[in-house]
Amino acid sequence: MSLLNTLVPSFARTAATQDENRPADLAQTVKPAYEVKETADAWGVTVYLPGVAKDGLEITAEEGQVRVIGRRTWKQPDGWTMLHRESTSVPFELVLGHDNAIDAEKIVAELRDGVLRLSLPKHEAVKPRKIAVS
Amino acid sequence: MRLVRYTYPAFHSTPSLGGFQRSPWSGLETEIDRLFETALTDFGGNSSEVRFPVDIYEDKDNTYVRAELPGVNRDDISVEMTEGYLTVTAARKTAGTNVEDAESFAFTRSVSVGEDVDVQKVGAAYENGVLTVTLPKREEAKPKKIAIAVK
Repeated sequence: MSLLNTLVPSFARTAATQDENRPADLAQTVKPAYEVKETADAWGVTVYLPGVAKDGLEITAEEGQVRVIGRRTWKQPDGWTMLHRESTSVPFELVLGHDNAIDAEKIVAELRDGVLRLSLPKHEAVKPRKIAVS
Repeated sequence: MRLVRYTYPAFHSTPSLGGFQRSPWSGLETEIDRLFETALTDFGGNSSEVRFPVDIYEDKDNTYVRAELPGVNRDDISVEMTEGYLTVTAARKTAGTNVEDAESFAFTRSVSVGEDVDVQKVGAAYENGVLTVTLPKREEAKPKKIAIAVK
């Protein structure tokens, strides 16, 4: 990859969206599985975050994006030997861009059994509106 | 409208890139891996079953199996032990407002745990979407110190 970076100069520049203030433990993240369903009033997002409890969950809404960060809180107890490992302990991160179509004040979130359900109500301007013909 | 079919997110570590910069290709690589993964499982395996990650640990008294199963009711999880194999079966039902939206996924996975398990004392707990099965080892199988006098 670094050879490619030297051959193609545009790759050597850091991406414009890289944020220097990013916390160190988010250097590597994995995107969780998620589903989005739409109704007339809101978008319902179901995000699968196994191993994440309420204290490891962080949801922020800013600049037209909703960002969900889930950190797994389980630590392997001392004395346990690992025989086979398939899961990761890397934090989950999901960023959903919405171009201000969502009313960020009214977002409702529920975390249960490792599943986060977000209800993102649509902004009034985006809802379908009936116009009466006089 | 469903955007993403439930396939478990795969994390490929890229140690050569350092902590501060992600290669512009890494997102593409991940997406292509996932594309091949879904294509191959559809051809080869039973595509209505989904795989979930399982970790196995042990300490001197127990073997522990952790399975990542978010969003499943405790009643829909069944854990069975037969002849050294632990089988975990779970069903996730999502009830939608219309009948068409209700879907159900079945997960099942068998893990070999060896013959030294005290089957009567196996316990399981489900927390935050992770099922932890504790399999105590039989007394005879626990490591014992045998003192040998050297003459």
